[in-house]
Amino acid sequence: MALLGVDRVREAASLERRAAAFVVEPRNADEIAELIRMCEAEGIALAALGAMRSLTQIRRAPVALGISLRRMNRIIAHEPDDLTVIAEAGISVGALNAELAKSRQRLPVDPCQPDVTTVGALVAAAHAGPLRFSEGTARDLLIGIDFVGHGGRVIHGGGRVVKNVAGYDLMKVMGGSFGTLGIITTAIFKVRPIPAHYAVALVPHKRADDAFECAARLLEALPLSHLEVVSPGFAARFGAAGQFAVIAGFSGNPEEIGYQAKKSLELASGRGEIFNERQAEAHYAALRDLDFAAGPLSARFAVMPAELPATLDAIAGDYCAHAGNGVAEVALRAAQSLDSAQQVVAEWRERAHRTRGHLRLLAASEPIRGGLEFFHAPSDGALKLMRRLKQAFDPAGIFNANCFVGGL
Amino acid sequence: MASSIDPKLVEELAAIVGVEGIVSRASELKVYECDGWTVEKSAPDILLLPRSVEQVSRVLRALDRKGIAFVPRGAGTGLSGGALPLNAPVMICTSRMNKILTIDYANRRVEVESGAVNLHVTNAVKAKGFFYAPDPSSQMACTIGGNIAENSGGPHTLKYGVTTNHVLGVELVLPDGEVVELGGAVEERCGYDLVGAVVGSEGTYGVVTRATLRLMREPEGHRTFLATFPDVESATRAVSRIIASGIVPGAIEMMDKLILRAVDDAFHVGFDQAAGAVLIIELDGMEVGFAECSSRVIEMARAAGAKDVKLARDEAERQLLWKARKRAFGAVGRLAPNYCTQDGVVPRTRLPDILRVISQVSERYQLSIGNVFHAGDGNLHPIILYDEREAGQVERALGAGRDILKACVEMGGSLTGEHGIGAEKIGEMPLMFSPDDLAAMMELRHVFDPKERANPGKIIPRPGACVEVAAPRRQVPI
Repeated sequence: MALLGVDRVREAASLERRAAAFVVEPRNADEIAELIRMCEAEGIALAALGAMRSLTQIRRAPVALGISLRRMNRIIAHEPDDLTVIAEAGISVGALNAELAKSRQRLPVDPCQPDVTTVGALVAAAHAGPLRFSEGTARDLLIGIDFVGHGGRVIHGGGRVVKNVAGYDLMKVMGGSFGTLGIITTAIFKVRPIPAHYAVALVPHKRADDAFECAARLLEALPLSHLEVVSPGFAARFGAAGQFAVIAGFSGNPEEIGYQAKKSLELASGRGEIFNERQAEAHYAALRDLDFAAGPLSARFAVMPAELPATLDAIAGDYCAHAGNGVAEVALRAAQSLDSAQQVVAEWRERAHRTRGHLRLLAASEPIRGGLEFFHAPSDGALKLMRRLKQAFDPAGIFNANCFVGGL
Repeated sequence: MASSIDPKLVEELAAIVGVEGIVSRASELKVYECDGWTVEKSAPDILLLPRSVEQVSRVLRALDRKGIAFVPRGAGTGLSGGALPLNAPVMICTSRMNKILTIDYANRRVEVESGAVNLHVTNAVKAKGFFYAPDPSSQMACTIGGNIAENSGGPHTLKYGVTTNHVLGVELVLPDGEVVELGGAVEERCGYDLVGAVVGSEGTYGVVTRATLRLMREPEGHRTFLATFPDVESATRAVSRIIASGIVPGAIEMMDKLILRAVDDAFHVGFDQAAGAVLIIELDGMEVGFAECSSRVIEMARAAGAKDVKLARDEAERQLLWKARKRAFGAVGRLAPNYCTQDGVVPRTRLPDILRVISQVSERYQLSIGNVFHAGDGNLHPIILYDEREAGQVERALGAGRDILKACVEMGGSLTGEHGIGAEKIGEMPLMFSPDDLAAMMELRHVFDPKERANPGKIIPRPGACVEVAAPRRQVPI
């Protein structure tokens, strides 16, 4: 650790302890490269920590060395006229967007609590929120990446331009790899203009079926920004306690907003309410920040969009369903014994599987975490390729070991 | 041409694909000696036209046993020599696996065999108000498998993204014949994003035989403008203003003087022959929003120097503009016996700089270069005209292309926006990527193809190999 100086190597504190025993805070990719070479030689497992919101929920045991990118949090370049930004992985999505907003632009990927989600975690743990419906996820917006791989090699993929097919797509390989293939140091994104106006239609329903039918009508008729159905446990936050709330966001110029507002009220048979500007933003933030990492047991379903209502039917938990995407986050409120948690997860998986989908656990409380499988196993053929990929990119097996799909 | 393949193996392959599925006569193989990158030519020893994934798998197993390399091919419309056989005696063409298997409107998905033609997918769903977004200019012929290999784009990718944003799952036959299902039909992925790795891998991971694609809802309406400018500088200025204003058009395409003339001769669009450049600007979305957006676009185009901004009056006029744009390459055939095109990318704000460079290169090499390109993305398509019958012209055309690409990279851009590296630009890869980057890419390739038998000699230059492709490997006069 001598190379970094004593002030940047320390014992893990509070929340960090769930993820790592010791923490280092390198200043640049070269220092990370040194650390990786040392860890490979000594067989020490390491992992990038982000802001601890992903890793601490899914690691069964801490790694020896946590890499905090707290000191690598600069925006290297923002080119407003090119709609691109280059940022170090340690900056939070919130801080990045605060800077972009000065040019009326944004990175339209909206993880829960963007101020405590780093860009590195956004990419590595594939976080996404309501805007995935209209803007895609980090997968769709990441146009370039730097990471430090095995042997301390600093690897660059993609580039700074919005369209680029030179070389293999290392952004896709690193995206959603949960830190198991290397340490992401820089991400390059295409960004988007902030829409001129934004409004929200909120439509409460007593029955889930009716809510999803209403959502389907909106989806069919309007080019929405996002479309959610939240279960009664969450609906209180949107003034619809005890009901299933359809929350549809739309954006555009005043004419487009007016038209979509009118149309959505018609489609909701007059039951809905329209919120504009500040109120709309508040509802949006509440929706984005529904926190599924805090519960004793939470998961994300991915199924065919039309199968979402049947999949979520009679789920004993609260959910936020991204109705246009076929994706839903689900949380149990009460603590679970390991037995009952395993049973619940098995039932959820079976539901997802029945509709050609799958399920990933987002968080589980510490007593039950060790006995649960977080990732859905892919097909045998795909898993074999994934094992080869892990072996190729991490021959020493040090990057966030034993945390990912199939024990990778 | 005498086949280098053991006759017994040829028999075995014929038994798998049937006699109608194998082509081994030299005269018939000539059609397959190049794709849209016509500078280099090399015919395969045999061509196979399998009809099913089982046939593809059995073929690859047989080739694997003998250690024989192969090159996959869709419709052969690629522009970077991706389907050029280099040390690969067997070509596997997916054109007979062209079925659209299932259309699922409720979930906005379509499942197709990889030989399905791009435009056929949209044609199959448009009556219900849907479309498949990536729309390369060759979409009347090119296949979904080829699009997946090249991660193809098209004019409307400015708003809707390229192929990788629209492919959810693929069935891939690995070079040893194993069939793997990657991804699926749902949005999230289990484990590593191997679908994302396969899209854009230019046939070097095996043969994609099936894919699940996203469908998009047709926007309520379009407004397509033809803006005429005195020069390319003012046209690029308009592009920057529109993009920076927060409007995201469906497409912004530019054609310069040379292209305008060729296109007008071919399609009689009525372009102003005195114009230095035109932009085709297409807005799409809700009818109610167009009035405001349209007037802003017209205003910005005029402020940037447009002499005239015309709105396509009806669908027929709109289609004529797109026909002119998408068939511009074909129209250029009238200007010179041969052409090659590049598809370098620059940050949008550097468009005026790169266009100046292209004009200097044109003078330096004494070759005409036309420009027709995706201005909104900064994705160039300089069309370099030459005559291969004249001594030295091929080399000059290649040299001009290399200089342009080098300038793109120096401006912070890329060697290719949508055509792929293929055989054409493999020598330029070190301009963009370090030896470590390339080594990591090679490690990724070996995950799928450890023996490098799928489309060898593409994308990644061999370490230590001579990376300068000074002249075409072999030229066959047409």
